Amino acid sequence: MSSLPAHKALAAFANAADPAIAHPARAAQKLRRRSAWLANLNLAAIVAVLGPLIIYPLLRLIWLSVSGADGLSMHAYTVFFTNPETRGVVGTTLAILFASAGLASVLGVLIAALLFFKPFPGARLLTRFLELFVAFPSFLVAFTLIFLYGSQGSIGLLLQRIFHLEQPPLNFLFGSGGVILAEVIFYTPFVVRPTMASFALLDMRLLEAARSLGAGLGRVAWRVVLPLAWPGIAAGTILCFLLTLNEFGILLVLGSAHLVTLPVAIYAAATVDLDLPTAAAGAVVMLLMSLTLYAMYRRMSRRGNRYAS
Amino acid sequence: MQADLIPAAVSAERPRRIAAPRRWVSRLGGYSIGTLTALLCVFLFVLPVAVVALSSVAEHWSGTILPTGYSMRWFERLGSDDWDAVGTSLEVGFSVALLGTALGLWIALSLEGRDRHGVGAVVDALAMMPNGLPSVVLGLAVLIAYHKKPLDLSGSAAIVMLVQLALVLPFCYRCCAAALRPELQILREAAASLGAAPARVLLRVVLPQMVPALRASVALGFALSLGELGATLTVYPPGFATVPIVVVGEVERGYYLPASALSLVLLAISLLALCLIATRMPARRAKPKN
Repeated sequence: MSSLPAHKALAAFANAADPAIAHPARAAQKLRRRSAWLANLNLAAIVAVLGPLIIYPLLRLIWLSVSGADGLSMHAYTVFFTNPETRGVVGTTLAILFASAGLASVLGVLIAALLFFKPFPGARLLTRFLELFVAFPSFLVAFTLIFLYGSQGSIGLLLQRIFHLEQPPLNFLFGSGGVILAEVIFYTPFVVRPTMASFALLDMRLLEAARSLGAGLGRVAWRVVLPLAWPGIAAGTILCFLLTLNEFGILLVLGSAHLVTLPVAIYAAATVDLDLPTAAAGAVVMLLMSLTLYAMYRRMSRRGNRYAS
Repeated sequence: MQADLIPAAVSAERPRRIAAPRRWVSRLGGYSIGTLTALLCVFLFVLPVAVVALSSVAEHWSGTILPTGYSMRWFERLGSDDWDAVGTSLEVGFSVALLGTALGLWIALSLEGRDRHGVGAVVDALAMMPNGLPSVVLGLAVLIAYHKKPLDLSGSAAIVMLVQLALVLPFCYRCCAAALRPELQILREAAASLGAAPARVLLRVVLPQMVPALRASVALGFALSLGELGATLTVYPPGFATVPIVVVGEVERGYYLPASALSLVLLAISLLALCLIATRMPARRAKPKN
């Protein structure tokens, strides 16, 4: 309706002046083509900004890792993976990843289920706190654990006093135990949030129907809640694995002395040994692992969004 | 009849008699599960935050369960290096938050309404990609690309801003894109059909509607930039240490209590910024980040 006067005016104007745009339809098509061209130019400008920000550095990283003195070479990779200090570093990294992200996922889904289905006074406050906790820097979590679980930490001393021990009982913090503990504490809230969001999308009538037909709590959880909320839970779990793999601060504070993981090895090669090609080789391996997980996450969360809409 | 009635009465009676204690038990079980969850969450998540606050005001804290004596001396002893780091963090944080929000808004507006195929999908994937990159790897890549000619940024704070801008961009972009709701599209079409030029529609209709999302994006970018460690540690030039770098350095040398005081300053600044900038979070923030 609103474009009618415009069309009339345009047609009148065209008839008087320019036979080439005598038909309003053709003029509109020309306009559309021009705006499509402008949109493509705009996208090209965005790519021109994102290129130097993300793509160019990554290409330089990959190029440096495969370029030797004369042409292509895998020398940097051999150096990185035969160094006695970093041998088995991928295995260590994966073991830490599966232990901490696996524990965090299970704990996160359990806490989300309890907060959502069995809310207690203060549950809302706690949920809000968990949302804010995500903005807490991870290295600070690792740091505070030194006060709590270090060999002279509060909890160790408390246990010593309660059980009348000779020595404080806890001495695990600087190593894989402490790293796993810190990563579980830091990344569990990242699972709780999307899991609660996917619980909120559930049709509660289905749960009530299952209960009234005589299904027990465990059966409802396993056969009704889990299949329906699965896309959200899976996306949250993969996100947790991705973020845990990419973690650096916790590994630096608690693990740099005894536990060599991929990020710490890359960082040490780059800034302590000043050997950029070797660091780049390690970084490319880590890049492949992260991008694989990230592609899985994108697919999973798109499926989750489709379910939600 | 009589024989029929009595068992019926008994069977009607019996479930009630069993149900009463069972309901009582299940309610008690519910309470105890709730209490256990609350205790576990407080123990795991609230305790670490409390410890930062407690240790920064502790006179001494080693070999005892709670600190012996409280004082503000660690804050009074923050030196010029520490305040320089706070200044650098603030400067980098604000620049990164504003640039990231501007870039995120631009990308969100450009991709709005495009189907997720072709060029649009590529740009979307590019803007979201830093979300999946390890911060150390991105830091190393930026260091390799910009540490010598043709473009040498390794002597200025620009390289720190560059790497942090890439890291916060996905969050800012997601924040802006979530605010471009279908309702907004109707308003835009209404304004355009009433004869407003595209620039006028953008300035007078779209941007005012997006103010809460833009504020949330700035706050999020600022908070993320303040706490960023891995990439910054890999690229930072001498003299441009941010607060996390100074804190980690002090922790590694064993100066725990000064590190706590500086961390508390960092947390206070980022909490203040979150409260000042993003007093009203957009309603769709609960969506999992993508």
